[in-house]
Amino acid sequence: MNLIREIWQSIVRRDPLSTDKGKSELVFLNVWLHIHPAKVKKEHLRFKYTFYLGFITFFLFLILVTTGIALMCYYRPYPPMAYQDMKDLQFVVFMGPFLRAMHRWAAHAMVVCVFLHMCRVFYTGSYKKPRQFNWVVGVLLLLLTLGLSFTGYLLPWDQLAYWAITVGTNIGGYAPLVGGQLKELLLGGHTVGEAALIRFYVLHVAVLPSLMILLTIVHFWRIRKDGGLSRPTWKLRPNKTEALVTIGAPAEVAPLKTVAASTDKTYGLMEVVTGKPIFETVTPEEEEDAVFSYPYAFFREAIALMVTVTGIMAISFFFHAPLEELANSAKTPNPAKAPWYFLGLQELVSHSALLGGVVAPALMVLVLIAIPYLDRNPSRRPADRKLILWLFTFFVVANLVLIVIGTFFRGPGWAFVPPWVHVVSGAE
Amino acid sequence: MGRKLPQFFFALSMLALVLIAAAVWQASTPSWKNYQRAFFQLEAQGEPNAVTKAAVLATPPQIHQILLPGLQRVDRCTTCHLGVDDPTMKNAPEPFRYHAGLGPHIPSKFGCTICHGGQGLATDVKDAHGNVPFWPNPLLSSDYIRASCGRCHKEGDVPGVPELTEGRRLFETEGCHGCHKLNGVGGSIGPDLTDEGASHRSPDWLERHFLAPNVVSAGSAMPNFHFTREQARALTYYMLSLTNADMGSYYSSMRLIPSPEYGRQLFVEKDCIVCHAIGGTGAKVGPDLLGVTKRHSMEWLDEQLVNPQLVYPGSSMPEYDLEANVRTALVAFMASATQEDAQEILAHRSNKLTPEDVAIEAGKRDFARFGCAGCHGTELQGGVPNPNAQGGQVPSLLHVSDDYTKDEIIQIIRDGKVPPLDNAAGPTPPLYMPSWKHLLSDEDIHQIVDFLWSMQQKAKDSW
Repeated sequence: MNLIREIWQSIVRRDPLSTDKGKSELVFLNVWLHIHPAKVKKEHLRFKYTFYLGFITFFLFLILVTTGIALMCYYRPYPPMAYQDMKDLQFVVFMGPFLRAMHRWAAHAMVVCVFLHMCRVFYTGSYKKPRQFNWVVGVLLLLLTLGLSFTGYLLPWDQLAYWAITVGTNIGGYAPLVGGQLKELLLGGHTVGEAALIRFYVLHVAVLPSLMILLTIVHFWRIRKDGGLSRPTWKLRPNKTEALVTIGAPAEVAPLKTVAASTDKTYGLMEVVTGKPIFETVTPEEEEDAVFSYPYAFFREAIALMVTVTGIMAISFFFHAPLEELANSAKTPNPAKAPWYFLGLQELVSHSALLGGVVAPALMVLVLIAIPYLDRNPSRRPADRKLILWLFTFFVVANLVLIVIGTFFRGPGWAFVPPWVHVVSGAE
Repeated sequence: MGRKLPQFFFALSMLALVLIAAAVWQASTPSWKNYQRAFFQLEAQGEPNAVTKAAVLATPPQIHQILLPGLQRVDRCTTCHLGVDDPTMKNAPEPFRYHAGLGPHIPSKFGCTICHGGQGLATDVKDAHGNVPFWPNPLLSSDYIRASCGRCHKEGDVPGVPELTEGRRLFETEGCHGCHKLNGVGGSIGPDLTDEGASHRSPDWLERHFLAPNVVSAGSAMPNFHFTREQARALTYYMLSLTNADMGSYYSSMRLIPSPEYGRQLFVEKDCIVCHAIGGTGAKVGPDLLGVTKRHSMEWLDEQLVNPQLVYPGSSMPEYDLEANVRTALVAFMASATQEDAQEILAHRSNKLTPEDVAIEAGKRDFARFGCAGCHGTELQGGVPNPNAQGGQVPSLLHVSDDYTKDEIIQIIRDGKVPPLDNAAGPTPPLYMPSWKHLLSDEDIHQIVDFLWSMQQKAKDSW
């Protein structure tokens, strides 16, 4: 028994979790957990404020990495074997359909959650100082998520994949000057073929996930450095006391300085510094409200993880990932549609190639990135931000409406066909 | 909720475990395992012995598949249709019944979907039979199955399928090419029919379409040709047989059918008649092959064709490096070969087989078998370096008849010869002609010399 305890102690090296010291050591002695603070404010954990969308997105990414690596064992990125491998997953590989469905649904869910997460950050004004740059990182992560989903879309090499990527890359090809070259670089040719498949595969399993991991690290690090998880600061009670904190060496030596705690307090074990901190400060009163990350934050995170995993598993158990016919460049489906998240763009392209293929996406990305620098209003209180909240809502709704039209209301020849009207495909 | 967090987490974890268990259960109980269990029970019924019965019942379930790389096809139909090549299953219920009347089209070489359609990759009934979305070739009904013969038998009469011949004839004579392209030839008013067999259209649709194009396909530009029902069916057969895939040439190039006809063709190609007689006609170097399949088992004959020395040490039959299929075809031919076959083969040989030819052939084999070619070259060209021998190399044998008589050469082979030195003071050349009299019979030596002289002739001819 003693030996077991000794081994366990050599691994965790902390006091029992029943003690406050143990609770804090659990965090800062553990390389994986120490991205958390030892203590968090209760507001940080309020579900109705963040909906844990960031966590859920990250957990979806973990599911995707895990199932993706398993799928790589069964996949050859070369037509038509790629398609045969899909069939093998469906019919021969143990739990293959479940595995593929989890990857598929988690990928779609991640696109949705990244978008919802962005909306939440916008509506709560969490991109404002000091978090401006983290918003930019977030927009890049959104683009990477779309890129991963888009590159993964081609890999099954069925009709759905082939034509969605053909349409998607054609939209990209409308960009002036570089569009054609970019499309050629991406496809390794003028049309989707063997070269495109291997390029998309490399992007999907190596390049984009690596970038994703790197930027996710930056994103998380910045959250911690910018004052922890976002919280509704405008709802906090104003400080009643102006506590003074003495900075300097213990007792015998004269203190270096005495400052007001609410504004000038800073943490730093490297050196004691003075000056205004860049992050949101925590007053002593607030500190009394703080709780240890263990168990309050960790259990909530673990529950978010379990909800994500069980949710994706439940969906995958009942709904298998679609697989159409083998890709055939001679048989164009009518209409050929891009992946659903690009259908808004395709809808715009159907009205104007320049507008939908170039102006709209370029403007969207540029404005999204620039938002924290364009919005000069320092207040995060919704009542002070009415105009911009309406503008953003319009942007979101417009996107959704376009995607819904493109997905459900477009039939052969991109004609307007409501989903409840059944079109009989005519004679050739 | 704060205090209930651990409980909530625990409940969710249980739910996750249940889901995983459900997914594992779903994956471990595919329907094909039930079919295999039923088949093993059927098989066990026929077993008299309790031990064998138990062994049959204990066969682990596994997916069976026929790989057809040349066609990029994998057929897993035999996972459930376990009795297709087992004649004892002649009266078994489906899906286990023996597939009679296949002739040379054995399932292990042809798979199933090439004739039947369906989705060979699938392992559950609905998907495998192909009546599912996104699979273009569902199982063909028995009314139309023979249309598939035309996928490989692209020309000429297909035995037993007069519809196909009639369909092809109609297509040519009724002017279908005017509107339809077929293999790059034809008009473009109607759709290209090159790959029509792989389209989604059902045989039923096609047949009704030929009877009244406008009724089935509103607004179709195709005129009504007032075909009879039989003609419509013939054309439907033809349409179903049209495919882009070059299946016929795949099978002929692979020579997958070990038929006696193919065996005979091989017998001619390999010139077996120069050593073997059939019913007394042909050469006498090897044994007469008439009734050889009655004297030896199939396995023995197959072994003999793989490695003659192993089965029958001292056999002068060379190793031909034949594929299994080729060997089966040769044995099939031998089983049916008659003296008339031998006479016919001999009559069609470009140069008539004389006793001298037989001796030369035997000599050529001995020349190769005893390693003469190692120094003198496979073409008798010589040229292997032999320092301090006259000329510095092993002599060519192409002009040996100019310098020696046959008897002198026989003497040299029998007793060996040390090459004359280039420089009398120099070292002994490493290579010399050994004495062969203990290894070769006089007959062998005569045959080798005959072979050498036959090559002389050739060398002179080519001057």
